[in-house]
Amino acid sequence: MSEKSAMSGSISYQQALDAYLNKDDFPATELSIDESLLLEKFHPDHRQETITNLQVGPNKGDRCHKQVAKILQADSRIDATDLAGARIKETDILVIGGGGAGCAAALMAAESGAKVILATKLRLGDSNTVMAEGGIQASIEKGDTPQSHYDDTYKAGHKKGIKDLIKQLVMDGPETIRWLIQQGMQFDLNKYGDLLTRKAGGTSANRVVYFRDYTGLEMIRVLREAVANSSVDVWDYSPAVELLSNESGHCAGAIISSLHDCSFIQIKARSVIIATGGIGRVHLNQFPTSNHFGATGDGLVLAYRLGARLRDLDSFQYHPTGVAYPQHLTGTLITEGVRSSGAYMINALGERFVDELKPRDIVAAAIIRECEQGRGVVGNSADGNEGLQGVWLDTPGLEARNPGLLNQRFPKLVQLGLRSDIDITKTPMLVYPTLHYQNGGVVIDENGLSDIPGLYCVGEVSGGIHGRNRLMGNALLDIISFGRRAGLRAVKKSQNRGHKKISIDHISNLRRELTLNNMPMNTKSPLLFPDYARYEAIISCEKRGSSSHCGGCDI
Amino acid sequence: MSHQPPIKSHQPIKSHQPAKSHQPINQVLLHPDSQATDIDQWFAGNGGTGIKKALADTSEIISLVCDAGLRGLGGGGFPTCKKWQFVAAQKAAPDKYLICNGNEDEPGTFKDAYLLAHSPHQVIEGALIAALVNQINKIVFYINPEQKTSLENMRHAVKQWEICDYFTEIEAQLARPLSICVMESSGHYIGGEETAAIESVEGNFPFPRGKPPYPAISGVHGCPTLINNVETLANVSHIVRKGAKWFQELGLGNSTGTKLYCLSGDVLKPGVFELPMGTPLTELIYTHGGGMLQDKKLKAVFTGGVSSSILTPKDIDVPLDFDSVKERGSSLGTGAMIVVSEGTGIVKRVTEYVNFYAHSSCGQCPPCKTGTFYISQLLNKIDTGQASFADLESLINLCKFLPGSGRCHLLDGAVIIVDSSLHHFLDEYKSSLV
Repeated sequence: MSEKSAMSGSISYQQALDAYLNKDDFPATELSIDESLLLEKFHPDHRQETITNLQVGPNKGDRCHKQVAKILQADSRIDATDLAGARIKETDILVIGGGGAGCAAALMAAESGAKVILATKLRLGDSNTVMAEGGIQASIEKGDTPQSHYDDTYKAGHKKGIKDLIKQLVMDGPETIRWLIQQGMQFDLNKYGDLLTRKAGGTSANRVVYFRDYTGLEMIRVLREAVANSSVDVWDYSPAVELLSNESGHCAGAIISSLHDCSFIQIKARSVIIATGGIGRVHLNQFPTSNHFGATGDGLVLAYRLGARLRDLDSFQYHPTGVAYPQHLTGTLITEGVRSSGAYMINALGERFVDELKPRDIVAAAIIRECEQGRGVVGNSADGNEGLQGVWLDTPGLEARNPGLLNQRFPKLVQLGLRSDIDITKTPMLVYPTLHYQNGGVVIDENGLSDIPGLYCVGEVSGGIHGRNRLMGNALLDIISFGRRAGLRAVKKSQNRGHKKISIDHISNLRRELTLNNMPMNTKSPLLFPDYARYEAIISCEKRGSSSHCGGCDI
Repeated sequence: MSHQPPIKSHQPIKSHQPAKSHQPINQVLLHPDSQATDIDQWFAGNGGTGIKKALADTSEIISLVCDAGLRGLGGGGFPTCKKWQFVAAQKAAPDKYLICNGNEDEPGTFKDAYLLAHSPHQVIEGALIAALVNQINKIVFYINPEQKTSLENMRHAVKQWEICDYFTEIEAQLARPLSICVMESSGHYIGGEETAAIESVEGNFPFPRGKPPYPAISGVHGCPTLINNVETLANVSHIVRKGAKWFQELGLGNSTGTKLYCLSGDVLKPGVFELPMGTPLTELIYTHGGGMLQDKKLKAVFTGGVSSSILTPKDIDVPLDFDSVKERGSSLGTGAMIVVSEGTGIVKRVTEYVNFYAHSSCGQCPPCKTGTFYISQLLNKIDTGQASFADLESLINLCKFLPGSGRCHLLDGAVIIVDSSLHHFLDEYKSSLV
């Protein structure tokens, strides 16, 4: 992007800011745009040079982003020899991932009386859920219906979503909010104690309920507490490096790599629920990301190796308003709530260039268009060089129209600005799309069950609910709705672990396919951590003198 | 008869051949003309001639099978014609049974399932010839319930035979009605044992019986009962069709016929391969199996079926026939070869095996019930790095006194595999101790 900014000769930060501050009227854009043409020309999903066809696995021949294909078609981190002497633990349900979906699934399974282990790569709650700001959708307003929620979701997903899954999602909406309230979650209320709602880009009604601009944080606060008070056994710093399969190819547990002591532990389980989230930290197309440090697509890899089909692996969501300046905040998300409350998007020429409440992919593509066509603002980097380009998010205008709103509804954003000496009530933030969400994922049924018996996938790792573009607020609904369903279902349909053999034999099949297709085996996956990661485990591994086999240690 | 030259290079062959596309000249059971799920298709291929010949003259069939040197391919290797002679000599009192054993539940074995699903008619024709020759009036196809496709295709095929002219001709020669039944076995591993299969057919839990009396004298409901494996019966119609000499020449060295080998484990191209009986192990792995996965070194081979000890790299040249493998202290068993490469822990593999045996023990004989359980506990303890030297000693002692104390061979099978792994890989056991 910096390359492009140099080429297109965009307007400098100070110049653009002065122009912005001297103007107080920003008329709505009159331009009628052809949305599909806009997406095709400017949305990163449509960069054909980044797409490849998968050569091995159940999705052989399907379109896939090259960076995703690389990790799906990589060698396993472990060998059968690594399991010699590995501890074995048995449980009913193993949940992999400690975000909202993982917590919801674990809670429901434990409530149904099952023995549950929740293994998470970092700590419980360290996830994208905690970073969710905007809110959660549910058709609870008068005049709103699950049907219109369904229509909005289906349409925003470019009619590529699976109808049964969307139906399940929208029908679960009100009950999900009720359950969250029962768990103790707070929402913003009006003076009568009714839930406040707001619109999201692409929705036809006020349907997003929220708590300030840290709805996800509040959700995780409550879920963490609920998990702590339940019988769920939480394993921190325990990423899964491979699934276990039984003689029929069903999922029968997972191999956990403990970051505490770099040992492997085999957890044999009747059902496994993968809730590992998305893939933003792979930085597709070199985009900055709003994603959590652990979002490295591990669940996709684990499920794909066991033979679960995936879908829409060439479709990702770029959230329109990621911070582009100051540089150290690059990629940090500014909630869509700001736009739904009425903030404008303004280019370097002081023009509104898009209807801010269009679905995310349209707005993101429009911002990229502005920057590529020389109407972007160039942020300065710390060393004085040209940094990222972006456009203004007009928070001062919003404040002028609704005095006090920013402080009341978006305290986190105000704080974020203040820490970088930007008073967002007076100075607008420079924003640029940030890699935000993996639209596709593992193919699931209405209860989160994948193609593989005993393997459930919930949350961002699953695909099909949001089609090829997700609406704001549907992710939090998705994780709780499908997380709870999978937790209940996994206990009900608990299968036999199998008696002959629980092993990682499916890894041999993967290696066979890779060899027969003459594919390189030098990449190992799941990645577990971004490639620029440095973390304590490396030190502890070196201390113990074990060098290679701990997941993630062989950077 | 042309056979493949012995393999010279151990390099894996990186080609895109499907697993089963080796020289069709040596194929009988997997020959394209033998593959048919529809009876007309079967008669248009290799089918029909065998039963026609048998109907014309039954007197020579048993000696033909003797001359061909057909042996029980379910793991025993017992000469088929001897079993037939025993049963043929019995009077039908009141009935005579044929159980076609398709219980197939050993780790790494999947040949019977393949035959039943892809060429049910060649199995049925073989069974009908056996019935005709031995005056058997009740045929039971005893099939593992997990094999849904096999069951479905067999049921369909049996229905087609029942309305075919040959069926009435057979009944006419037997001078009484013939019944064919496709039955789901119990699914227990032990249900594949001969006498356990008889119990199962009688509707009981598959507890193995003591022998004698042998099934040929007193089997299902006390009637003389012939029990043959699926692959054995599948060969019969071809032997009758093409003669004993032809069948003899198919094998290498002293062996006769072909064998279905189930290759699995750390090889590049696993699958079912029909090769001349007596094909060397090295040829199976490196020529047909595409070599070792990731070019790793061969560490061991587990052969399928009970009473099989582990083969090690020094046995790589062993011809895969009943006698040659026995000379190396192991057994050919069902023809399953589970290949293990360097980098795989033997203790873990053996533990998986013994866990299977412990789970499969019917619990009838106390030494087997507690013995397999205790061995499995000790192995799990060693495998997970929690065992002391005393545990290893207990394991070694158990291997000394347990064998021979059960009615069937299940306990012996479990012990032999542990014993041979202790013999070849004792250091690996020791390094797992605390």
